[in-house]
Amino acid sequence: MVKLETLRYLSTETDQFIKITDDVLRVARESGVRDGLVAVISAHTTTGIVVNEGLPCVEKDLGSTLDRLVPLDEPYAHAHFLPSYGATGNNSCGHIKSMLVGNSCMFPIADGEVVRGGAQDVYLAEFDGPQARKVHVEVIGE
Amino acid sequence: MIIDMHVHPLLYDAIYDEDGFSSWEREFGMGLMGPMGYDEVLVEMDVGGIDRSVLLPLDLTTTAGITVASNEQVRSIVSDHPDRFVGFASVDPHREDAAAVVEGAFSEGCAAGLALNPAKQGFSVDEACMDPIFELCERFDRPIMFHAGMSWEPGALAVDSHPLLFERAIAAHPSVRMCLAHFAWPWVREMVMLMLKYPNVYTDTSVLYLDSPEESIRRLFTVDMGPLWVERSLSSQVMFASNTPRFRAFKIRRALDQVEMSDSTREAIMGGNALRFLGVRECDL
Repeated sequence: MVKLETLRYLSTETDQFIKITDDVLRVARESGVRDGLVAVISAHTTTGIVVNEGLPCVEKDLGSTLDRLVPLDEPYAHAHFLPSYGATGNNSCGHIKSMLVGNSCMFPIADGEVVRGGAQDVYLAEFDGPQARKVHVEVIGE
Repeated sequence: MIIDMHVHPLLYDAIYDEDGFSSWEREFGMGLMGPMGYDEVLVEMDVGGIDRSVLLPLDLTTTAGITVASNEQVRSIVSDHPDRFVGFASVDPHREDAAAVVEGAFSEGCAAGLALNPAKQGFSVDEACMDPIFELCERFDRPIMFHAGMSWEPGALAVDSHPLLFERAIAAHPSVRMCLAHFAWPWVREMVMLMLKYPNVYTDTSVLYLDSPEESIRRLFTVDMGPLWVERSLSSQVMFASNTPRFRAFKIRRALDQVEMSDSTREAIMGGNALRFLGVRECDL
């Protein structure tokens, strides 16, 4: 059995960790899959999917570390007009942070439950907000 | 109050039409960007601390047979969120009913001003067809937002948008407030000259043709112009603007926040000058 659901979010800040654990668990539960995998995949190139401990202090440290690694004021090549868009790029920080954290995660499903560590939460990480965003959740199994 | 004086509402879901949108993409020169609901539009304004966005339609009736956002569409957006949007009207001056369109927009449509792009619309501000339009702006005390300088729109030639092409009209209509948008980039010095000479001339900060917002705005305020020119001589004629959707408004604001200027000049640029340009008080918006 394969079931796909697309979740939609509206980020409200330029950089933001949006906890989506409950939505992922709901999709897995409603899929009817007893044993298999659930994959969480961002539809974008300036967001990430992050699995980490769901504490505000951890979110703060993750964000500030990414800011240090990928400072805004760098001579990024992407800082120019893009004729295909008719708009300027200027979101290299978002692209690089997205690459660093990755755009997906996966959990096993056993006996109808998503198997995850007690501290593991799933985040949609926004790096070029605010924007309307989509996350695909695909459940594969039987 | 912070006012973004230059927004093209072309991605707004409320007026999105799949068939018509392709013609907007062609005429405006954009792609790969989808419609945005009001929730997304408003949260983006909120992130930039922007209280009002001035929405600009463009009438291309005689050149392309379409409008790139019509006056009616802008009016409908404003009516949906009158606390966040201010609507301008546009007219193709070569339309036979151009004067009637402008008068209707000012009197019945409550348009706050007129948006014109001579290079894209294929007219000169010195043509006779502009006379009744200037007269209506004088009679209704409404300003004009002119595109000036380089445009990314296909068919809009830079040679037709040089700021000096506007000087005769500016001089002939001293009571009409006119904004030559985008600092008429790359003709920034000519733009500065016009503002020095004519107090009815304004410009806006939607200048991001090269580099990052920070680099572009820094260069505008410190290299293209002397670092004290705005503070000393132009503080009442420069208006904050983004040119959304080409440039994201909160990024232009972030770049402006890094430019050194007095609090009073910053307040004027971010909203005070726009209020004077629009001819309204803050409590009227």
